[in-house]
Amino acid sequence: MEHYNMNLTLKVWRQKNTDAQGKFETYPVSGISSEMSFLEMFDVLNEKLINEGKEPIAFDHDCREGICGACSMHINGRAHGPWAATTTCQLHMRAFKDGDTVTVEPWRAASFPVVKDLTVDRGAFDRIIEAGGYVSVNTGNAQDANSILVPKDQSDEAFAAAACIGCGACVAACKNSSAMLFVSAKVSQLALLPQGQPERKSRALNMIAQMDKEMFGSCTNTGACEAECPKEISLTNIARLNREFISAGFTYEK
Amino acid sequence: MKWSQFFNTSIGKKLLVGATGLFLCSFIIVHLAGNFQLLYNDGGKAFNAYAAFMGHNEIIQLIAWGLKIAILLHAFIALQLTFRNRAARPVKYAVNPGNQTSSWFSRQMAIMGSILLIFIVIHLADFWWKFHFGEIPTQNYGGEEPLKDLYTVVQVAFKELWIVVLYVIGMIALSFHLIHGFKSAFQTFGLNHVKYNGLISFVGIWLFGILIPVGFAIIPVVIYFK
Ligand code: HEM
Ligand code: SF4
Ligand code: FES
Repeated sequence: MEHYNMNLTLKVWRQKNTDAQGKFETYPVSGISSEMSFLEMFDVLNEKLINEGKEPIAFDHDCREGICGACSMHINGRAHGPWAATTTCQLHMRAFKDGDTVTVEPWRAASFPVVKDLTVDRGAFDRIIEAGGYVSVNTGNAQDANSILVPKDQSDEAFAAAACIGCGACVAACKNSSAMLFVSAKVSQLALLPQGQPERKSRALNMIAQMDKEMFGSCTNTGACEAECPKEISLTNIARLNREFISAGFTYEK
Repeated sequence: MKWSQFFNTSIGKKLLVGATGLFLCSFIIVHLAGNFQLLYNDGGKAFNAYAAFMGHNEIIQLIAWGLKIAILLHAFIALQLTFRNRAARPVKYAVNPGNQTSSWFSRQMAIMGSILLIFIVIHLADFWWKFHFGEIPTQNYGGEEPLKDLYTVVQVAFKELWIVVLYVIGMIALSFHLIHGFKSAFQTFGLNHVKYNGLISFVGIWLFGILIPVGFAIIPVVIYFK
């Protein structure tokens, strides 16, 4: 694709801290290359703000290669911007035209409080994992690779679920701020594998209990999460989570 | 997890909404089949006999009370979840994706459900309450006892334009509610399978979303223009 430069108008959410009132600020940015990533465009803007003696815009980022899930931004009404299956760091400026106005907001959810500007606290996800998103195993030498047999289809499905990077786009995209896609990926990756069996029932029950405690909304099966997930986690995982939860609820003795 | 805890979780509540919702779906098929007798030009002989049977048979009366409990439970839990879901996003987005990431129908469930609830209350007050507890005329079709003439009550009601409009609006709400609701219930129960998803979606849209609501709506419209 042809390289081009563009001038944009950015409307960015600015908020000093969790308790402060936030508001949108408008920033013109010029000479942005179509080959830049969305975060590099923010770097350009922040350097300009620093040179002018102003407070730069706080945003989360780490790997900048689409694997850490840190770069949470709601761009023109879309989690991680207009492209499907992409994180913000992998969104390139060729997604925009010269003269566009781009509105950037933080993830909006009671469970993800804004820390500053576009940075939110996704600690609620960590607490859900702590409630059951693990397997308890004795450590020691690694076992021989083929000592536990796993059917290929099942291992593929588990792997697809394990691709979840905990970015929170599913919560951000859902009109109910529901975390079901995230939890379903974390429950599925273990429910599908032999190593996940011993704690299978308690895992489903405890992770859902924690999800509710964190005040995420409930699922109404709109599918917005799947549409926005950068790792294309499928809604079939939510159906599996429902099955796991139902069967655990009906049969778990504790 | 105790049962009381289980049905108090978000998924547990959704299961109750889904189960009562599908129960109501099964009911509306029977209800529509019976209602088509309102279109017979037999002076109400068939319809009134049917209404008398439905009103007196103990098993059917048990199911009928079950239905009313199901409607209340469904509406109560669904609205409770809706308010909780709203509270989960105290600050709204300035820009929303609209239909880019989800279907319009799937986002209007609570609105369509609320319109349906208002409709159901008026509908029950109008016909069910009158039939069981009100004064309505009787007709003798040569049986042992005269029958309550619900047929005529309905024919008179549907000569009133605003009632016809109300029923059509109610059925539009039903249509929109079930286009998403029917298939959504299956996903809630964890029933998502490539071999059946197409069929479930097809039945949800064509049978429950279009055929049945149109069937219901035709009755007041035909009577109005008769
Ligand atoms: C004849 C009447 C009704 C039928 C047949 C019906 C059917 C259904 C079905 C099948 C579902 C899907 C359940 C699931 O996703 O698990 C549903 C969901 C829902 N219903 Fe109803 N319903 C009726 C009346 C109502 C009423 C009166 C209300 C509210 C006042 C209501 C509010 C809701 C809401 C908010 C949902 C949301 C869940 C979602 O988005 O998936 N419904 N209904
Ligand atoms: S399910 Fe997808 S959108 Fe949700 S946290 Fe995981 S990777 Fe992100
Ligand atoms: S910065 Fe790691 S995924 Fe974007």
